[in-house]
Amino acid sequence: MSLKGKIALVTGGSRGIGAAITLKLAAEGVDVIINYFRKTSAAELTAGKAREQGVTAHIIKANLAEPEKIDSMFQEIESRFGRLDILISNAASGVARPALELDTRGWEWTMNINARAFLLCAQRAARLMKDGGKMVSISSLGSRLVWPVYTAVGVSKAALEALTRYLAIELAPKGICVNGVAAGAVESEALKMYTTDQGLPQPSLQTTPAGRMLRAEDVANVVAFLCSDEAAMIRGQIIVIDGGLTLAPMTGGSGGTT
Amino acid sequence: MTTVEETVKKIVTRIVRKPDLDFKPTATFKDFKADSLDIVQILVAVEDTFDIEIQDEDLKQVTDMGAFIAYIERKVAEKNKSQVSS
Repeated sequence: MSLKGKIALVTGGSRGIGAAITLKLAAEGVDVIINYFRKTSAAELTAGKAREQGVTAHIIKANLAEPEKIDSMFQEIESRFGRLDILISNAASGVARPALELDTRGWEWTMNINARAFLLCAQRAARLMKDGGKMVSISSLGSRLVWPVYTAVGVSKAALEALTRYLAIELAPKGICVNGVAAGAVESEALKMYTTDQGLPQPSLQTTPAGRMLRAEDVANVVAFLCSDEAAMIRGQIIVIDGGLTLAPMTGGSGGTT
Repeated sequence: MTTVEETVKKIVTRIVRKPDLDFKPTATFKDFKADSLDIVQILVAVEDTFDIEIQDEDLKQVTDMGAFIAYIERKVAEKNKSQVSS
């Protein structure tokens, strides 16, 4: 897998799964641009770790709910790097409410960050991918499974997945591969907050048929593969990363039926 | 009313969409009927305006607007101090 010398933008790339993707790409020799929403200190920390791999790491603060912020982020990328090879659409946010209690503001906020931002970033990124490129969207199993108060996020992720398929076909003639990954619950601060708020089992109590819970690095490894030329014939697919949980939800992570 | 207080009041009033907000020190976000999205947007606007970083864990100690203003004033002072010494 040779990604050395490529330039990648990872949206929401400073923390959690995004940071794991950033660092995995850096370890593969990719120069990384880390977009983040609020925490400059976290972005600088991740950028510092990326630089330890001998690559360039640059941070850009931008709220992806605002199209003009996306524009200025890409202007900065264009003037500083001149091109882009990889776009990872990872930034996500959402309003946790039952469907009947969702208002239009919460709906739009969630859809704009989780789905529309990928469209706007892909439009700008495609122009910078003059020699082809790779795009990977980070979805969630909540696009097809139903979790408490996950309505807005789940629907936005379903839109993200559909957009991934449409972009895959539209951008194929430009040499741009577009795919997505849908991960199960990953051990993270975000999951801990969600489970605590909803009174769900704590992450440490959950597992998968593969024998353990998913880690951010598991997602990052698949994303890096999708960014490689070895994955060139995978187009518009959403790769499920869940340790087999959705195939055997009744095993309780026992590893099988024996 | 301090400059920080005036600015924060303007931000909160704009985001919770209530022009007649009773912005007293003992008022809470709950009193303003601010939801989680409002609060995120307020924090982002405050951070951008004052060029500071608010730690979410610090907010557990912030119970009302008086404490919120005091926290922001402290962050702004820390930022100014570090700029002078660097």
